[in-house]
Amino acid sequence: MTTALKEAPESVAGADGIRPAGYTRVRIGRASFLLHRRAAAMAGALAVALAAVCVAYLSVGESFVPPSEVLKVLLGQPAANELVVGTLRLPRMVVGLLVGLAFGIAGALIQTVARNPLASPDIIGISQGASALTVGAMTFGVTSYTVLPYLSVAGGIVAAALVYVFAWRGGLHATRFVLIGIGFAIALRSITTLFLTKGDYLVAQQAQVWMTGSLNGRGWDSAAPLGWLLLALVPAVLWAAYAQRTVSMDDDTATALGVRLGRVRLGLVLLGVVLASVATGAAGPVDFVALLAPQIARRMTRTAQIPLLCSALMGAVIVVLADLLARRLLSPTELPVGVLTAAVGAPYLIWLIVRGRTGRTAGGKA
Amino acid sequence: MSRIVARELTLAYEDRTVVHELDLAVPDGQVSVIVGPNACGKSTTLRALGRLLKPRGGSVLLDGTELARIPTRKIAQSIGLLPQSPVAPEAITVADLVSRGRQPHQHWWQQWSDEDERAVTDAMERTDVTALADRSVDELSGGQRQRVWIAMALAQETDLLLLDEPTTFLDIAHQVEVLDLVRRLNHDQGRTVVIVLHDLNQAARYADHLVAMKAGRIVAEGRPGEVVTAELVREVFGLESVVVPDPVTGSPLVVPGAPYRPGSSP
Repeated sequence: MTTALKEAPESVAGADGIRPAGYTRVRIGRASFLLHRRAAAMAGALAVALAAVCVAYLSVGESFVPPSEVLKVLLGQPAANELVVGTLRLPRMVVGLLVGLAFGIAGALIQTVARNPLASPDIIGISQGASALTVGAMTFGVTSYTVLPYLSVAGGIVAAALVYVFAWRGGLHATRFVLIGIGFAIALRSITTLFLTKGDYLVAQQAQVWMTGSLNGRGWDSAAPLGWLLLALVPAVLWAAYAQRTVSMDDDTATALGVRLGRVRLGLVLLGVVLASVATGAAGPVDFVALLAPQIARRMTRTAQIPLLCSALMGAVIVVLADLLARRLLSPTELPVGVLTAAVGAPYLIWLIVRGRTGRTAGGKA
Repeated sequence: MSRIVARELTLAYEDRTVVHELDLAVPDGQVSVIVGPNACGKSTTLRALGRLLKPRGGSVLLDGTELARIPTRKIAQSIGLLPQSPVAPEAITVADLVSRGRQPHQHWWQQWSDEDERAVTDAMERTDVTALADRSVDELSGGQRQRVWIAMALAQETDLLLLDEPTTFLDIAHQVEVLDLVRRLNHDQGRTVVIVLHDLNQAARYADHLVAMKAGRIVAEGRPGEVVTAELVREVFGLESVVVPDPVTGSPLVVPGAPYRPGSSP
């Protein structure tokens, strides 16, 4: 009895041990996972929002289809509007959704590694690399939409590799990475312009639409490869969600904690670049999604690092919603979705820079 | 006995050699303080002891094995290191930051064990930051923040702890607080501590083993009472001084020569 009494305070202290605030531990046998409660709740909310936006996307259009009919089509029940919803709108929406997911994760990963909210694939040259190679190929007569996405992926990866190599000096310096990326983005954009002016007028016009980022006329042939690829990358994304936590410290501290920074960073950037390039290949560089989604998601969850799942869902909400508006705003003319995302993203970017400068000097590091 | 030993260690940044063939055996279970003027290579040496800097020549041995041959995660289970100006992720809470110290003991499938919870709770109690657990690190004072960082390094639960100028940017009261904390940790848990300091008097007060460096070489090392003399201060810092016993601790106290006064000869 006495020993039990003596031990009591200790076990209470153990139960009340300190845990990172806002996290819940999930235990499965010896395995244990930390779950950020607010991030989990937000992910749930975003999933609901995404579902609502998707149903709205399928309902609204040239002809209105009631949501109940939309659900019938989605569940594979016979419905009158099978053609409009299932064949015309659904594949395009799925492409938008997947592109949004991919951009959301890509932006989160690259911003994490660069420790800079400006470092998104459309700012540091990845989208521009994809554009340069794609538009180049177009002007040389490649117009097949089965070939172009692969060129786009190749262009994005090559551009990212160049930025990485040039930014490397015995280590990856975050600011240098962003600045060199911006430099490459400008250089690649002028190469793209060169192709456009050299090329045939009609090709140039087609290329221009692609470069704005557009989901016009996308079908299952775009959605299927994108979907399979994202599915294949799920394990890598799960790894990234854990590894992300370890690279959020400064280099010395992270190394002192036993993190193999070089490898982890390379892995995260590589995954981000592949996702961004693949998404660009499917829809063109839909500007600012990769920049916006992670930052909005982070503000929602107030976590120390960018929440990957929320960022992905946010990206999907942005793209699907923007494409819905792009389809309807000037109907019957369909705008490229990139016009809409840019209209929201550009002011945000300016705000980020203005606020960032004052915030940096006031907050300081030390 | 020394678990960590530097042998003919040569360290360089690009083409500039900062430390020349340095030999150092860190005595186990003691507080060693490396002291010296600016740019003498003391921080550089500490970084090499903590494998943040690869030696240009020679090696650092942990339990007889070259650091370069040990996986960095394995090293992190034996050596904790707090850099001079660590940067916390934006908006991170105190408890979250301290729990990052558990990194080398965790896996993706084991993100928070009971052991982690015990170590973090213990580290925060020892550094007196338990009450700050849910606060954001950004909003802490310099002294509080430094205690939080030390708590993170403690949560790592390593036998060896390397601290790079942990008192920089702190006022005198907080400097004393941090150094007292370090001594207490050494005493209570028998941890080996290596601190880089630039204040010779603080070094003399807190060190069991004092290492004086100048221009990338060790000039003298040993017990502060034996090492710190007016000649050493002249040689290392180029300063004329009088060394008297510290009225509180009896350790050597360096009093610099007379300050400039108008009218006196130079």
